Amino acid sequence: MKFHISRQMIYILSLSIVFLITVFVFAFAVLIPMGKEYRVARMDTKKISYQVDMIQGEYDKVYKNLKTLKADNRHVIGAYTTIFNSERFSKIHAQHFESFSLSQLSSPTQEDDFAVYEVNTSTLINSPQGFYDFLDAVNKSDNIVSVNFPIHFERDANLIKSSFTMHVYAANKQEKKSDKEL
Amino acid sequence: MRNSFIRPRTKSLISPEFKLLFFFFSITFAMLVSSYGFLKIKAVMYETTRAELINKSEILKTDIINMNQEIAFIKIEKQHAEGVYTGNTVLKESIHNLFDLVPQKITLSKADLKEDELILYGITPNKEVYEFLLLAPLRSIFHRSYTSYYAMENGWYSFVSKNYLDRELAVVE
Repeated sequence: MKFHISRQMIYILSLSIVFLITVFVFAFAVLIPMGKEYRVARMDTKKISYQVDMIQGEYDKVYKNLKTLKADNRHVIGAYTTIFNSERFSKIHAQHFESFSLSQLSSPTQEDDFAVYEVNTSTLINSPQGFYDFLDAVNKSDNIVSVNFPIHFERDANLIKSSFTMHVYAANKQEKKSDKEL
Repeated sequence: MRNSFIRPRTKSLISPEFKLLFFFFSITFAMLVSSYGFLKIKAVMYETTRAELINKSEILKTDIINMNQEIAFIKIEKQHAEGVYTGNTVLKESIHNLFDLVPQKITLSKADLKEDELILYGITPNKEVYEFLLLAPLRSIFHRSYTSYYAMENGWYSFVSKNYLDRELAVVE
């Protein structure tokens, strides 16, 4: 029995083989490596996304903590940034004394993270109670003020003359980026 | 003149078998190319997302560092302010105690308070009143007390009382 293959059939078979080879080459050389690349990119993205979620969680926690801390210490934070106004200070605290005078603020000195201004104070009181009231009130003032030694008391007729030094503290903080965000 | 009884078939350049073959492989190739395109686009999208996430994580990390620094600074401020407030309150109590210490019979004319030193100037009807009513409590507070008396014309004494706290001894105690 003679098996006859027509020329047309040979063309079709040849072309089919060429096409098949092309498809296989394309699949193995291009498509599969691209599939791998896609899979790696997807896994990497998932991994990084998980890490970012963790960082975001930590960020939220720290942000909440900072916000709470800022809210709880609003007065203290404000007091360190408020510029000392001797006129306002005298006006508020003069009520505790018969006479109250402040010297000019000295140039600041550095103490840890704070700039310290010194101001000398002279007062006249008719009883020590005025001084006690002043020390109570100074803790609620617009600035962080400490009353320091040496303190000098001297009798002056029915009044008591006193002189002492006060330190006014100001924060030397650099602007923080997160300040703008809050 | 016609030499055949049938009409001639129109011969096309591409036979139906070829057409079928082309169609089949075209579909296959189109599917492969579209799969490649899909994967390529998705990979690029993932790469973009990945770059954005890395950038976001860097920003978040920097913000966390900044916020932690700010938290630490607020805590320092709070601690410092509490120290200042406590210092003022302690000072008030110290002065309060000092004035409470002075008995009715003794009159102070001047008082100098320093960190580790208290100098009192005043008048006392006699030395015993001063020694029992003022010097004794002063000695219980300070490590060293020295008193000078000056007799006055009316029989009273003016006195200068110098009292010192020794810091080293205070630390040991």
